[in-house]
Amino acid sequence: MCKNHFNPIHCIIPPHMLDKLMLSDNKEIADLAVNSSFRSNRYRSDRAFFQASTDHAKTVLGVISGVTGPAVLQMSVYDNKHRTDFTHAKLLYDSTTNQAVTSKDAKNVIAGGKASWDFYFQLFGRNSIDNKGMTISQYIHYDRKMENAYWDGRRMVYGDGDGVIFASFTSDMDVIGHELTHGVTEHEANLEYSKQSGALNESFSDIFGIMIKQRFLNQDVKTADWLIGENVLKGKQYALRSMKAPGTGYVNHPLLGTDPQPATMDKYVDLPDTSQGDYGGVHINSGIPNFAFYVAAYNMGGYSWDKAGRIWYAVLTDESLAQDAQFVDVKNLSIVHAEKLFGLNSPEVTAVKQGWIAAKV
Amino acid sequence: MKIRLVRSGGFIPLIKKAETETEMSEQELTGLLDLIQADPSAPRIKDGNSWELEIGERTTAIDPEKVPDEYKELFDKLKDNLKIVK
Repeated sequence: MCKNHFNPIHCIIPPHMLDKLMLSDNKEIADLAVNSSFRSNRYRSDRAFFQASTDHAKTVLGVISGVTGPAVLQMSVYDNKHRTDFTHAKLLYDSTTNQAVTSKDAKNVIAGGKASWDFYFQLFGRNSIDNKGMTISQYIHYDRKMENAYWDGRRMVYGDGDGVIFASFTSDMDVIGHELTHGVTEHEANLEYSKQSGALNESFSDIFGIMIKQRFLNQDVKTADWLIGENVLKGKQYALRSMKAPGTGYVNHPLLGTDPQPATMDKYVDLPDTSQGDYGGVHINSGIPNFAFYVAAYNMGGYSWDKAGRIWYAVLTDESLAQDAQFVDVKNLSIVHAEKLFGLNSPEVTAVKQGWIAAKV
Repeated sequence: MKIRLVRSGGFIPLIKKAETETEMSEQELTGLLDLIQADPSAPRIKDGNSWELEIGERTTAIDPEKVPDEYKELFDKLKDNLKIVK
């Protein structure tokens, strides 16, 4: 077990002692203990470990940069070589050296990572996922033909797709922005991934993902297609989701059937809080707040991020947004923030109200 | 004995299943399930997939990363044969 390193702290210290050593006043011992604890935990569940870690522990492990100078994008991209563990991943790109990459998937996630970082920093002054300069870590070629992308609390992970129904999950910038925004949400309201709060978690990711793409493409609310993952799901008539018309991302797909998203609260889908129930339909009922945002942004006109985006970012970062927030809580907060930002009887407040009325929340 | 692998969840929430006959004994399967059982306290991964192994009436949440080398071929075969359940 300990043949690959030679510091005793890495090998023989039991967990309860490591916990104490991580709090040591001696920085060298504390940092070694953090690293050792990380190695031990990794075999059990590195995902659980990172979510439970303190900011100091994350800094030692490089998850948070620890740099206190001017905000600068820090990003790493790895090739996971079709494996499901991350220990053999090969570094392809590091923003500090900015070396050229040839792989299309690597180019996609670098562009998506940069566009996402720029979006949050240039519009809201947010320095990366945690607002503390966290390195954006992206892993491509995860598993064999995996039809998915996810955020594990530390990194964004992308599969290649099966090549039949799904293309690479790096193919759409909105998917990359979606995953990065899961990290932002985790560091803000940390919405519980279940039922309505889970659907809001998904909706914030769709909303910011679509705005990141629209801004990159310089599309206004009328010229944008409001489709999520139109290149990931193969076939030009298909997309993973539609924010403009939830439930129409794909219709009568030969293998997937029809997009199950509702657009309105009266069609809310009550599913069990299990993985097979999509944790209460978090990817399904997100259609409802997605539609409210779309209508609000469309009625405001111009670019989605100029007005509606500012309102929804204020909601996402509002300390009163509870982890178990319901749709109506986001509705109320979005009206409050529209009033604060644009005035009590402003057209923007009216547009926000129209959005939630359209979604029947 | 017939075993069935079930994958659920994801960016687009699909349920996919694959099954195969194995010559493993009840005892060997029980031992394997003990080894690969998912940690119930692990946080939910945003857009992550979940995996279950169904053996008869028994369903166990598993972590595919824990599958020992000697069973990897079996699991890879099952993963390759996953089909969407509508």
